[in-house]
Amino acid sequence: MRHVELPVAVDAAAAGAPAIRLDKVTLNRGGRPVLSDVTLALAERRIGLIGANGSGKSSLARLLNGLLMPDEGRVEVHGLDTREHAAELPRKVGFIFQNPDHQIIFPTVAEEIGFSLEQAGRPRRAAREEAKAVLARHGRAHWAERPVHALSEGEKQLLCIIAVLVMQPAVLVLDEPFSSLDLTTRRRLEAMIASLPQQVILVAHELDAFSGYDRVVWLHEGRVRMDGAPEAVVAAYRRFAEAAAGAAEGGDTP
Amino acid sequence: MISLYLAERTWAHGVPAGWKLLALALISLAITPFDSVALMGGLLAAVLVLYVSLGRAALRQVALLRPLLPLLVILLGLHWWTGSLTAGIAMVLRLLAMILLANAVTMTTRMDDMMDAVEPILRPLALFGLSPRAVALMVAMMLRFVPLLFALWEALGESYRARTGKRGGWRLLAPFCIQTLRLSHHTAEALTARGGAPRGKRR
Repeated sequence: MRHVELPVAVDAAAAGAPAIRLDKVTLNRGGRPVLSDVTLALAERRIGLIGANGSGKSSLARLLNGLLMPDEGRVEVHGLDTREHAAELPRKVGFIFQNPDHQIIFPTVAEEIGFSLEQAGRPRRAAREEAKAVLARHGRAHWAERPVHALSEGEKQLLCIIAVLVMQPAVLVLDEPFSSLDLTTRRRLEAMIASLPQQVILVAHELDAFSGYDRVVWLHEGRVRMDGAPEAVVAAYRRFAEAAAGAAEGGDTP
Repeated sequence: MISLYLAERTWAHGVPAGWKLLALALISLAITPFDSVALMGGLLAAVLVLYVSLGRAALRQVALLRPLLPLLVILLGLHWWTGSLTAGIAMVLRLLAMILLANAVTMTTRMDDMMDAVEPILRPLALFGLSPRAVALMVAMMLRFVPLLFALWEALGESYRARTGKRGGWRLLAPFCIQTLRLSHHTAEALTARGGAPRGKRR
């Protein structure tokens, strides 16, 4: 497979060094290599990450906010080496998990958002007031006192995103955020994400989620298989995935 | 779903947390010297009237007592065996009334307000390096995860029934523990991703 070099459309904020840089990154988990010698410079505003289950997408995402550290090589995010600046990363890199129930820590909506504000240094009283203001800005003022378990999946995912955005991160990393959402809810979230000023790294299996994206990276068995314009990479990946499914028919792997 | 906090506002939501906690403490102190069945029965009836005044959703929360029933039966049995059945009945009534009363406070008080009321008492812990915010976080996470764990138990029970047609019962305990550990791992990751548990004594 050919490796497509991209004519990078660098925006003003990233005019200097690339915003995110992975340099010869190797990562092992449980004695198995998950990422092997991955080098990437991610400067575009909207970047998609695709690949089969187990291709290393989630691990790569977790390298960006310091949840995982590379075994070899280095990762730099907006000027911060993840190994040296682990404590500062959560404010630079907002992370959205696949299952909102794994992410929400507090029993009510206002507390969940208030926690982020407190983490960003606000005193508690101010954090509470601001949480209400934030909800009002998103047209969800009536959510403040709601118990989080009473929200629908889509509402929970929206809450997760709002709670992360109030920390004003420079990058938003979303790890398969649409897995349990219906199409309408997904489209709404996509539109909201599209309107954000942040750099966005989206890991998703929904191949139609990347319209308007600047670049898509396809990971295969821990390596970059293809990297370039969304249409080209997604089409190539789709061909590959369908062919693999065809080859497996009658074989032993489902 | 069973939860520890009532979403719909009731009159008791408006009462300051400190007053509710104080009332709870005073009532439990005041009834300590007594063990008449009539008095405890009256107390339980009064608490149930309180639940009725809080509305239908509150009454549904009485189901929370179900896991306690075996324990209460054992306690009653022990008293019967030692020949003090009346004292046993009074004690069970007292326990039921106090548990329901404490639960009424929990379900009508926002965690934040609860912590505000309790924090002055926790403040000396800062001398030993324990941040009141960390304690608040622990309490909040408990309130958040109790309904989630109930749901997890139900989901496990459903998948067991779907494949066996039988109730899982105790057989679900081991998978439940494993799933709970996985959940705690995910939550730890999410907490780390947002800057970790508070440690400083900032307020």
